[in-house]
Amino acid sequence: MRALFFIFALIIGSASGLGMTWVMSARDNGFGALDIGVWRSWPRSGTAEADPYARANFARSGELPLGFSEGVVFVATTDDRGRAIDGRCITRIKGKLLPARFWTLTVYDGRGRLIENPAARYAFTSTEVVFDAEGDVEVWLAPRAHSGNWLPTGENERITVVIRLYDMPTGVARSEAAQMPRVTREKCP
Amino acid sequence: MIRIALPVAAGLVLGGLVHILSIFALPQLAQNDAYARLSALGKTNEIVQVPDPTPFESLLPRLDPAFVFAACVFDLSRGPLALSVPTTPDLVSVAFYTRQGRVFYSLNDRAAARRSIDLQLMTAEQRALLPRDEDVTAADRLIIESPATLGIIFVRAFVREEGARANIRELLSKAKCGPLGAVR
Repeated sequence: MRALFFIFALIIGSASGLGMTWVMSARDNGFGALDIGVWRSWPRSGTAEADPYARANFARSGELPLGFSEGVVFVATTDDRGRAIDGRCITRIKGKLLPARFWTLTVYDGRGRLIENPAARYAFTSTEVVFDAEGDVEVWLAPRAHSGNWLPTGENERITVVIRLYDMPTGVARSEAAQMPRVTREKCP
Repeated sequence: MIRIALPVAAGLVLGGLVHILSIFALPQLAQNDAYARLSALGKTNEIVQVPDPTPFESLLPRLDPAFVFAACVFDLSRGPLALSVPTTPDLVSVAFYTRQGRVFYSLNDRAAARRSIDLQLMTAEQRALLPRDEDVTAADRLIIESPATLGIIFVRAFVREEGARANIRELLSKAKCGPLGAVR
């Protein structure tokens, strides 16, 4: 009987422990997140102080995080009302970005892959995007062609938008006035 | 009831322990990490060109499609390494990772004095063996100390617009990585 309990405890222990590791290492990288609106960043992931969860996540996915002096990455998976960004809808990303030498805005599907489209358009860079009169960026995510800065989303239900700010002045991301664009769902079929 | 509760509680405590240990062990155990994938591209201590990511294929997850990438998988066990990366009209950055994918140093082209980013990578022991005077006269050389013998140098070059991609790739193909003395 005692041996049975021991085995039982062992099974629970290894299953729950490894299960938790499996789940946590697949999620976005650990603690120390910085949120600006719907945009989330892990500023320490590109430093030697990256936490164990971030390291496990990168090791499992094979991703090489941007080094701290290279840039900072912001990820959005939901709109301003907390709904998942849906590639079948028209989504508007509008506003100002944190200052950086260059930035890129890239759309990925729910599994982190680029989205196939005939024009091979996966991203906008700060050097090619058209700014409006107020100096705001306005990018449209839509399954079919849209006026303005359009990025195709295919018919993917879940979209991940990644903004990478390269060569950023240090400290600006943490300031009170830090702002990132709003993400709004405009129209769904 | 208590007969069930005790092994369950013991199991959960054990589970916490297993979880912590496995999270720390994962970077050592991962089979298909960046180091393994980049090693498959070519030789150690040489520059390899990383293919541009497409919707169907990406050597590493979440590479920025607006960039061109090159890498040098390094092994310092037989001596220090020299790296030379030409600058482009736009941003070029270099990041250094341990074999487990932890960043230990990064810099961009603003740190480059001339038309290339030139630096030397060595362990603390190798640096200690450098002749003293050489260390002084070579003040313009950038020496980076690696906490690990094995690791990855990853080069990222920005492509301003698609038309410039071939040109940037051409420039990156001139990057050099190799034993110190062999790369000039």
